[in-house]
Amino acid sequence: MDRLKLFQFSLYLLALAIVARLFYWQFLSPVFSGNSQSQEIKIQAQRGEIYTNDNFPLVANQEAFVLFAKPKELKTGFEEIARKLAPLLISEKYATNTAQLTDDEKDKKQKEIDAKEKELVDKISQKNLFWVQLARKLTLPTKKTIDDFKTPGLGFEDDAKRLYPEGSMAAHLLGFVGSDDLGNDTGYFGLEGYYNNQLKGKAGRLGQISDPNGFPILVGKYRPIEPRKGSSLYLSIDRTAQFIAEQKLEQAVQKYGAKQGSVIIADPKSGNIIAMASYPNYTPQLFSEYSEDFYKNPAVADTYEPGSTFKLVTMSAAIDAGAVEPNTKCPVCTGPRQIGGYEISTWNKKYYPDSTMTEVIQHSDNVGMTYVADKLGLDKFYEYIHKFGFSKKTGIDLQEESEGTIRNKDDWRPIDLATASFGQGIAVTPLQMVQAVQTIANGGKLISPKIVKKVKSNNTEEIIKPDRQEQVISPKTAAQITEMMVNAVENGEAKAFVPKGYKIAGKTGTAQIPLSGHYDPNKTIASFIGFAPADNPKFVMLVRFTEPTSSIFGSETAAPTFFSIAKDLLTYWGVSPKD
Amino acid sequence: MRPDYIHKKSILTAFRVKTGSVKLKMLMLLGFILAGLFFTQLVFANNLATDGEKLSQVQQNIKRLERENITLKAQIAQESSFANLSKKAVELGFKKPQKVTVL
Repeated sequence: MDRLKLFQFSLYLLALAIVARLFYWQFLSPVFSGNSQSQEIKIQAQRGEIYTNDNFPLVANQEAFVLFAKPKELKTGFEEIARKLAPLLISEKYATNTAQLTDDEKDKKQKEIDAKEKELVDKISQKNLFWVQLARKLTLPTKKTIDDFKTPGLGFEDDAKRLYPEGSMAAHLLGFVGSDDLGNDTGYFGLEGYYNNQLKGKAGRLGQISDPNGFPILVGKYRPIEPRKGSSLYLSIDRTAQFIAEQKLEQAVQKYGAKQGSVIIADPKSGNIIAMASYPNYTPQLFSEYSEDFYKNPAVADTYEPGSTFKLVTMSAAIDAGAVEPNTKCPVCTGPRQIGGYEISTWNKKYYPDSTMTEVIQHSDNVGMTYVADKLGLDKFYEYIHKFGFSKKTGIDLQEESEGTIRNKDDWRPIDLATASFGQGIAVTPLQMVQAVQTIANGGKLISPKIVKKVKSNNTEEIIKPDRQEQVISPKTAAQITEMMVNAVENGEAKAFVPKGYKIAGKTGTAQIPLSGHYDPNKTIASFIGFAPADNPKFVMLVRFTEPTSSIFGSETAAPTFFSIAKDLLTYWGVSPKD
Repeated sequence: MRPDYIHKKSILTAFRVKTGSVKLKMLMLLGFILAGLFFTQLVFANNLATDGEKLSQVQQNIKRLERENITLKAQIAQESSFANLSKKAVELGFKKPQKVTVL
C-alpha cells in the first residue's frame, strides 16, 4: 500500500470516528429530563437596602429558597414527607421555642401544622404534575434541615427575602415587600412602596445552550445579561432618636390607655424627618399575619381635627398680616361668645378679660381665637392656611400620604371661620402640622419634608431635595410666635413636665372627635407640638394620642410624653441646659 | 552526435518529472496544513466545550461567595442592632443613668 492510500484511509477513519461521536451526542448521550439544552434563565435582581443616617441597614437581604417537589420522583410516602415538612413551613411567628408558647398558641400552632400537612399531601400527590412549588422564602436554616431529610424528589431554587435587623423598628415608615399578581416581589406602603422602582433593580437573563450535563457550551449561543441590583436608600432617620421615640411612645400609649399614638420628629432647618413612629405597629417580616388596618402609616395617612395646636397657624397668619400684635388685647374674652347661633366657650370655662394675644395662646382661649379670626378675615385666613401647606400633600416620600380636608372658601360660614381658628372643623395630617410648626421654628421658611437623603446605585448617586421651599411668614412673626409658644410652655398647663434648664416652644391640643354629625366629649385626640431649644431648634416634634382614657387632655398625656422624649434627645445630641 | 531534437526531448521529460514531483509535494503540504488546521479546530472546540464545566464551577464559586457575603452582612446587622444590644444590656444588668450632670 502506498503512502497516499494510507493517508486516504486515515482520513476516512477519522471522518467515521467524528460521525460516530456526533451520532452518540445526538442520539445516545443522557439528557436530563426537564433540563432543556437551550434555556433562558431569569436571574432575579437583588433588592436595594435601606440605611439609617449612621449607615445601619434597617432593611437588608438574606438568602432564601423556593422549595419544590417532583411528584414523579418522590420515593417516600406522601404522608410521611408532609409530616416532616409541615412544622417547618408554617408561619415564622411560631419559630419561638414551643416551651415559650402559651397553651392557646400551642393549639393554634398544631392546627396550622395539621392544615399545612393536608395542603402538602394534596400538592405532592398530583402525579400528573412534573414540578410543584411547596413553599417560598424559606430561610437557610430551614433549607439545611430539609436537606438533612435526604428526600429524593425535593429540591430548592434561589429566592430573595428581606431582613429587618431591628425587627419592627420604623415598620410604618419602611412598608414591606409582598408579591404582585405574577408572584414578583413588590414593595407596598412606606418607602418600599414609594421607591419600589428604584429598589427592585432589573432582573437579568441567562440565554445559553447547555450540554447533557447542564454545563454551558461556550461555542453555542451565549448571551448573559447580568442582573442589576436595586438602588439603596440612605435616610435622614436617626436610629437612636427612632429607638427613643418608639420606646417612649409604646410606654405612653399603654400608660394613658390610648387607642393609638404617633410621634414625628423633624429637623427644622432641612425639613428632613429624624424619626417617625406609630403604635401599635407591626413586624414587616410577618406582615401577612396582621390586619390591613396596620399597614398605613397614621403619621401621614390619618387626618384629624388638630384642635388648639392649630391656633399657632391662625395666630401666625394674623400677626404676619398685621391684624394683631402679641400685646393686642382681646375685647371679647369676657365670656362665651355667640356666633351664627352657636356658643363658643373656653375648654375649662374660665375667662380672662383683656387677655393679650400671648395670653390667649397661653390659656388656649377659644374665644380669644375667634377674635383673631374676625380681625384676620376669611380671605387672609384661607390664604395662609394654604401657604402653610394644608389641604395638599407635603410631598413626603411615603406611598400613603393623605391631603387632609379644607372646605372650599365659598362654603365657609362665620361659625366655620370661628371654629377653624382653634382647629375644629378642618382635617389635617400629623405631618402637615409638623410642616407648619417647622416653618415657625425655621424663621418663617417652609421646607417640605423628606425621609430619603440620597438614592445610591452602583455608579450613580441622586440627592433628594425638598419639593418646596418658601417664606410663608416673616422672620419677625416667627420669632414672636416662638416667644408666645415658650410662654405657653413655661406658664401653661403642662409646665410641671418641662425639663429644667431648656427653653422649649410648644402648644397643647385637645380636639374632640366628630362622630355621626356631633362631637363625643369623652373621645379626643390629644396632642402636643413644639420645638427645642427655642432659640436654635434642633428638632420639631409632634406627639399625638387617639382617644386616651386616663385623661382626655393633651396637657396631661401628649405633653409629658413630648418632654420626656425631648429630654432624652437633648441629652443624646449634647445640648446642655442653660440654667 | 545526437540530433538536436533528442536532446530537447530529454530536457522536456526531465522538466515534466520535476514538475510532477513539486505538485505532489505541494499537495501533501496543503493536506498537512488542512489536517493541522482541522485538528487545531478540534482541540480548541473540545477545550471550549469542556471549559463550560470550568465556567460553571467559577460561577458557582462566585454565587457561593455572594451568598456568604449576604449572610455575614445580615449576621453583623442583627448582632449590632439596638434590639439585640438593649436585650444584652438588660441581661448584663446595665441601667439607664438616672441623672445627667453637665460640667
